[in-house]
Amino acid sequence: MSPIIEISGLRKSYSRAFRQPHNALDGLDLEVAAGQVHGFLGPNGSGKTTTLRALLGLIRVDGGTMRIFDQEVPHRLPDVVSQIGAVVESPQFFKHFSGRLTLQLLAESAGVSKARVEEVLEQVGLKDAAKASVKGYSLGMRQRLAVAQALLKQPQLLILDEPANGLDPAGIHHMRELLQWLAHSEGVTVVVSSHLLSEVQQLCDSMTIVSRGRRIVDGKVADIIAGHGESSLTVRFPDAASLPEAADALKEAAATAPEADVSAVVDRDRLVVKGAAEAAWVTKALADAGIYLSELRAETKNLESVFLELTGTAPVPGETVQIGQSVEVPAPAAAAAPATTGDETIEVQAEGAER
Amino acid sequence: MNLFKSELRRLMRRRLSLIFGILAVVGLLVLSGVYWFSSSQGPSEEDLAWAQGEADEMNGEHAECIGDPAFFDSPEWEWVHEDSAFEDMSHEDRCMNFVGSGDYTYTAQDFLYVYTFTFADESPMTLIGVAIVAGLIMMLLASSAIGAEWSSGGMANLLVWHPNRMRVWGAKLAAACTVCAAAVVGLLVLAFGLLYLTAVVRGSVGTLDSAWWEDNLEMLGRAVILSLGMTVLGASLAMLGRHTAIAGGIIAGYLIIGDMLVRFAAMALQMKFPDRLSLYTWVGAWIDGKIELHDWSDVNAMQPDVMVITASEAGLLLGGIILGLTLLATLAFQRRDVA
Repeated sequence: MSPIIEISGLRKSYSRAFRQPHNALDGLDLEVAAGQVHGFLGPNGSGKTTTLRALLGLIRVDGGTMRIFDQEVPHRLPDVVSQIGAVVESPQFFKHFSGRLTLQLLAESAGVSKARVEEVLEQVGLKDAAKASVKGYSLGMRQRLAVAQALLKQPQLLILDEPANGLDPAGIHHMRELLQWLAHSEGVTVVVSSHLLSEVQQLCDSMTIVSRGRRIVDGKVADIIAGHGESSLTVRFPDAASLPEAADALKEAAATAPEADVSAVVDRDRLVVKGAAEAAWVTKALADAGIYLSELRAETKNLESVFLELTGTAPVPGETVQIGQSVEVPAPAAAAAPATTGDETIEVQAEGAER
Repeated sequence: MNLFKSELRRLMRRRLSLIFGILAVVGLLVLSGVYWFSSSQGPSEEDLAWAQGEADEMNGEHAECIGDPAFFDSPEWEWVHEDSAFEDMSHEDRCMNFVGSGDYTYTAQDFLYVYTFTFADESPMTLIGVAIVAGLIMMLLASSAIGAEWSSGGMANLLVWHPNRMRVWGAKLAAACTVCAAAVVGLLVLAFGLLYLTAVVRGSVGTLDSAWWEDNLEMLGRAVILSLGMTVLGASLAMLGRHTAIAGGIIAGYLIIGDMLVRFAAMALQMKFPDRLSLYTWVGAWIDGKIELHDWSDVNAMQPDVMVITASEAGLLLGGIILGLTLLATLAFQRRDVA
């Protein structure tokens, strides 16, 4: 079965006065399979919104190909647009119109029935506020209205840029259930761009992470997390002064043991140990050196740590990560080769990636 | 068709449309009210009696002065004797100067100020004024509708639903022109009715023969076309600038400063018929059907040089400007990214 969205080598650059052009998209590839909730992640300025805008025909690209429902876009976009519902970036509406009128005008323009307007208002929880003008809506209510307008057409593909933005916890929960129901029960393909990584982890079946306009990794969320992000142990001591001594002790023990890849790094009041096969080896090595720990905890892998590692945006104490400082991915032709960023090396394709 | 209908509804439901609609109707009512209260079909008996009284008083006072050689000896007129300017003046001249006008006898007519609104003579220019003002309003409304949609983000939303930009632009222009035509014709019909009623009740209708209808319908037709052109111009400028203020700024800038600068430039270049550089001249030619410009730069000439601008020529120029800007706006909308 061919992917619902297929993007290959997408390029978009913005010219800037007296400066080099900015490559917002630099050969981006993306594939989204049918009936899934697909997360589209990346640091700020990595090209997520540009990609979605390009897909929806809002901006012109400089190169590459895009296909939706096996139709080349933007040329054939009018043929498939009736199957696509989308919210791109912050939801904006004409503020003097009511929520209901906003939806009615869009529905009328595309021949969608008025009854459907009421259905989606109910679906996103805006029925009681439908008569009020958008001017008085909170950010969360505008977000719900934006999702409502995306749902109006009963789309087969739903593209949502930051759908949880401004929603309260109940709203986020409701949105998650709604999107999962649409994907898994109704067969709708959902693409979600978000920075709420814990939400993406709960919501999405698959995902693509991009950096500087190129894909870093894609595949099932669980596989990517499993394939990346080394597990680590956090070790604390009654006296923080023991930290350097403990780190040295572990390195020495590792040098004479099978755990040759063990690293021990002091991070403020704790020691972060990576590469140890078992926690017991750490306690033994420290005890052998006469150092006794007060806490030992295994850190669970999560999407946030994987994301920060893959995008090279993990915070460094005392430094602020600047926009555009994320990892640079090699050109797609060399994608199989390891990509180097500073001192660390990452695999461009995840071990758990589908392709 | 669905898109056109929804654009039509979007335009009609805007608050500014409602405000402009109310202002236009109120403006027409005020204009008719001015004609209504300033016009009358003749003086009333009361007015006539008052005017006759005034005339009789003036004539009587003059007669009294002539008949009384000691008229200027009273304390009221004592200063006349003391002023050297009146020293050599005869008594009759003094009477003529101060209490009358010599041989002239005042009548009631001299004290009656009657204005009669004549529909056949005055309504055409008023109706054309209404059409042009309605066109200006529609120009603002169209530019505001397009500009607000860009600044509110509504345009991006709409394009996500309708990626064919030419279809969207066509629907928006068609909706703006439809509303403009309906508004201008509606206001003209209302103005015609109000002015006709004023003429029947408070003035005179005059002669509305076939020649009158032919001349004025043609002129009004051109005024309606002009207002449609203004609507398209407003929408195109807002589409180019992607903001209402940019369209408004360009229009106001030309109306206030641009035309003046063009005239100064014409004077500096000492060109013949400098008025031909002003758009107002061409608009006048379009409405009137023809305009003559006179040039007296040859001081020895007995007759001035004359340049005639016909409605067709004016239509070509004005239409060309509007078409050019519309094509630019179309191209910009088709090619530019929607941020």
